[in-house]
Amino acid sequence: MTTEPQNVRIVITDGAIIPDPKERRIITAWSISFVGALAALVYLCTSRPEPYWRLLQFLPDGIAVTFKVTVLSILCSIPIGLVTGLGRLSRNRLINLVASTYVEVVRGIPLLVQLFYIYYALGRFLKVPDLLAAIIALSVCYGAYMGEVFRAGIDSIPKGQTEAARSLGFNRAETMFMVILPQAWRTILPPVGNEFIAMLKDTSLVSIIAVADILRRGREFASESFLYFETYTMVALIYLLITLFLSKGVSIMESRLNYYDRR
Amino acid sequence: MLKKIVLTLAALLVTANVAFAEKTIVVAQDATWPPMEFVDASKNIVGFSVDYTDAMAKEAGFKIVHKNVAWDGIFAGLESGSYDAIVSSVSITEERKKAMDFTEPYYEVRQALVVPKTTNVTTLDEMKGKTLGGQISTTGYFTIKRAAGVTAKSYDEIGLAMEDLFNGRIDGVVCDDPVAASYALQQEQYAAKMKIAFVIETQEKEFYGIAVKEVLDLLNKGIAAVKAKGIDKQLREKWIGR
Repeated sequence: MTTEPQNVRIVITDGAIIPDPKERRIITAWSISFVGALAALVYLCTSRPEPYWRLLQFLPDGIAVTFKVTVLSILCSIPIGLVTGLGRLSRNRLINLVASTYVEVVRGIPLLVQLFYIYYALGRFLKVPDLLAAIIALSVCYGAYMGEVFRAGIDSIPKGQTEAARSLGFNRAETMFMVILPQAWRTILPPVGNEFIAMLKDTSLVSIIAVADILRRGREFASESFLYFETYTMVALIYLLITLFLSKGVSIMESRLNYYDRR
Repeated sequence: MLKKIVLTLAALLVTANVAFAEKTIVVAQDATWPPMEFVDASKNIVGFSVDYTDAMAKEAGFKIVHKNVAWDGIFAGLESGSYDAIVSSVSITEERKKAMDFTEPYYEVRQALVVPKTTNVTTLDEMKGKTLGGQISTTGYFTIKRAAGVTAKSYDEIGLAMEDLFNGRIDGVVCDDPVAASYALQQEQYAAKMKIAFVIETQEKEFYGIAVKEVLDLLNKGIAAVKAKGIDKQLREKWIGR
């Protein structure tokens, strides 16, 4: 008698299990948090319009400021990060040293202190408007982090690519910008997305230099109404919803890139 | 070393036991508000309200523990019971009365506008279109927020607002008059560049009170004693000089 193999699935992995991109799960940590946060928001606004609905109407300009600061800072920090990353990989001792020192210094100072420094300490000599100071501080800080992301991304491209390009007559710059970077971009993009989310959360620090972001608007509301619980619940929910949105975007982007990678 | 620690602890315990007989009231103060309450060079909280409460405690027979708490959230801490009272130049307002109790007033205060020396204004209306700063959640900030045509900017500390004014990022700062005087007249660096434009006239008088949850009667007893003995006048001379 022979036993017929019935739907035997043999899974062969070489380490971590890669989720099947075709598999669609409905209940995930993401969907629970998202639906939960959204439901909480809707429930609070409809069941207790006072103060929640009033709060929701109080905050939008803060949300706009938060987005403005985040987007402009990320746009500035990407070129800074690229230059830093290339500098860190440079064979020129001086350039390498400058880029590495920048990363060391910036990563060694808390963002909050950097904000204070640029706005209040340097404010004695340079009259930087508050929004610009916030963007400069965030760009300088995240530029250093981005530099590490770019360096790792470029490092991840096999040496053979460089060797092949060089032997085909590309010079060093051409090799980097026409061969290596277009490939490294795929590795770099997801962590850049994560940095974007991290930065959005870190923009709550700019309320210290009197930039009217979500948190400061919330604090202003709370300080007048004494509704601390309600205000900070709302502020937390709004941050959560925004970051969940963005993290979904990043994970979609990541799976797309992975998909093409494996084809 | 260990012996020292044990001895210190023992001493602490003994004194704590003695102190137990008297009621201890923990007061929260945002020590960034000279000359009312601020931190001196040796990191102690000093100022008018510190001496005032110490005198109250002595007269009414209780113990005071001063606690330095950031202004933003100082009321939330009272509500959650982290301390018994707030002695931090809190003006008595109708909105605040709804959220907490107040003792008898202990100091009368008015709102003053601090501007660069080059600005010549006599009323708040003349500041239309300008940006004014104040500390978040203070009556000074509420004043500029109510003022028509003025862009209000809120800061965590009044010192940061003054620094921004000094650096020319904003056109003026509104705060309590003793504080305005402390910055614009007494601090050399600022005094060279800034001045008090005017004191804002209001219909209702504004007073500092102590915001409390439960120990209202005891504190009121202290205030009455300090006033009756004339200690408040001495303190006024010492810290405000008027």
